[in-house]
Amino acid sequence: MSESYDFLFKFLVIGNAGTGKSCLLHQFIEKRFKDESNHTIGVEFGSKIISVVNKMVKLQIWDTAGQERFRSVTRSYYRGAAGALLVYDITSRETYNALTTWLSDARMLASQNIVIILCGNKKDLDADREVTFLEASRFAQENELMFLETSALTGENVEEAFVQCARKILNKIESGELDPERMGSGIQYGDAALRQLRSPRRAQPQGTQECGC
Amino acid sequence: MLELQPAEDIRANTTVRIDAYGFERRGDFDSYKEMMNQYVDVLNRRSMRWSKLLQEKPHVEKNFTVKRFVRKGVPHEHRAMIWMAASGAQEQLESKPGYYQSLLDMEHDTKLKETIHTDMHRTFPDNILFKSKAEPGMQKALFNVLLAYGHHNPTVGYCQGMNFIAGYLMIITKDEEKSFWLMDALVGRILPDYYTPAMLGLKTDQEVLGELVKVKAPAVGQLMAQYPGIWTLVVSRWFICLYIDVLPIETVLRVWDCLFYEGSKVLFRVALTLILHHQAEILRARSLPDVCECFKQITSGAFTLDCHTFMQKIFTEPKSLSMSTVDKLREKCRQQILKEESGHL
Repeated sequence: MSESYDFLFKFLVIGNAGTGKSCLLHQFIEKRFKDESNHTIGVEFGSKIISVVNKMVKLQIWDTAGQERFRSVTRSYYRGAAGALLVYDITSRETYNALTTWLSDARMLASQNIVIILCGNKKDLDADREVTFLEASRFAQENELMFLETSALTGENVEEAFVQCARKILNKIESGELDPERMGSGIQYGDAALRQLRSPRRAQPQGTQECGC
Repeated sequence: MLELQPAEDIRANTTVRIDAYGFERRGDFDSYKEMMNQYVDVLNRRSMRWSKLLQEKPHVEKNFTVKRFVRKGVPHEHRAMIWMAASGAQEQLESKPGYYQSLLDMEHDTKLKETIHTDMHRTFPDNILFKSKAEPGMQKALFNVLLAYGHHNPTVGYCQGMNFIAGYLMIITKDEEKSFWLMDALVGRILPDYYTPAMLGLKTDQEVLGELVKVKAPAVGQLMAQYPGIWTLVVSRWFICLYIDVLPIETVLRVWDCLFYEGSKVLFRVALTLILHHQAEILRARSLPDVCECFKQITSGAFTLDCHTFMQKIFTEPKSLSMSTVDKLREKCRQQILKEESGHL
């Protein structure tokens, strides 16, 4: 592979049907609104390399169907996710009310340490708003989530959502709170990081081995 | 039967062209047209044969001749009728006059209505018949069929994917009531429980396919074994949507001819053919995303577009596939899944 990156993070996009999960992903990757397309069935997949605090991070993003019964099919993809976008629609109270269930699913199935950013999508439809910024940010605080209101239509805060989530994961790696080498962390070293991190380490034991002989 | 022709007159200056079913085709219109130009000879020949057959025997029987005819393709003008007759939908429709209308007239579950409504603008937005302002509006008909079905079969209610199926049924039958009874034939009789909340039939069939691949393409089986749970990822859409939006429409309709006449086994034949035919490409995949991408690639291109040859291949390439094999595997995989799921609780 020609692409070079320091880390690979596995991300999930979850939330009720029709909240704009696929559109957020599309806006993030393609930089435009995904208009006129069929809804997601099962699980879809996308990836993008971004630059976060001097590190190149490849996000491997799993976009899931939102209808409840698909959860039993898509749940197995939660395992080992490092980050998640938890999406609701600011014009639909129902999608907001479902957040608790999504959240416990993610924490239980992905990992306790999963970094989640709450996204109140369809920010452009402010006139039809059913969920205020304040109550959602309170919910985010109570549940230790980051929070942004986004618009997959205009692109507002979309990149930021992914970047903020990735930055927090990086911070946790640097502070030692997250160990990328732990199984199921949802984090892998990329080629670039391997070259920097591993080669000096690998050289040493080889040297000692030679001395021992 | 279909009045819609490629709408060059309206959109001559754009790259978007409309196919015979109302779908806007970007990019691939020329290869589609080219295929259709050749396929039209087949269609004409089949059309004559079918007319003769139906003159002699107006009742569609289950016998070797009709089966052979169905595998070679049902002409568009007879498609709705053959599907209705072969699946038992016609019988249901005739024995329950007014039933469909009564489902529409009853008081409806608000939650169900909303769930269906959420998907209306996300069902074939690339089809001119399904635009919200289209006249006559297919969207309203689609909504009715799904709402009626949800009340007819409350265990299933509405599951995403059924909207695409009902959409295709409407495109072919142009009739809500017929679409409703065909839907009932598919969901209630022909397919295992793909659409119930537990989706057990779907999970089972994904694993069954995995088992069949192990036998028929062991190298692919080995590759897939490295990624637990991968079958869901790559084929859940194939089964749930019965290949809609996976294979080209003409090919999907040919698969459905067999689905209505012969049953759900044909879905495995299609999947196995796609996999067997592209083994080399699949085996080049080095990571999970690679595999996912590859399984998307193998559904498009000349191989699947040429529906007539493709349909010949599905009955030759995977070789023998008996119903008893499928039944046994279904039972085995179902038990395994149930066991695993009870372990998780």
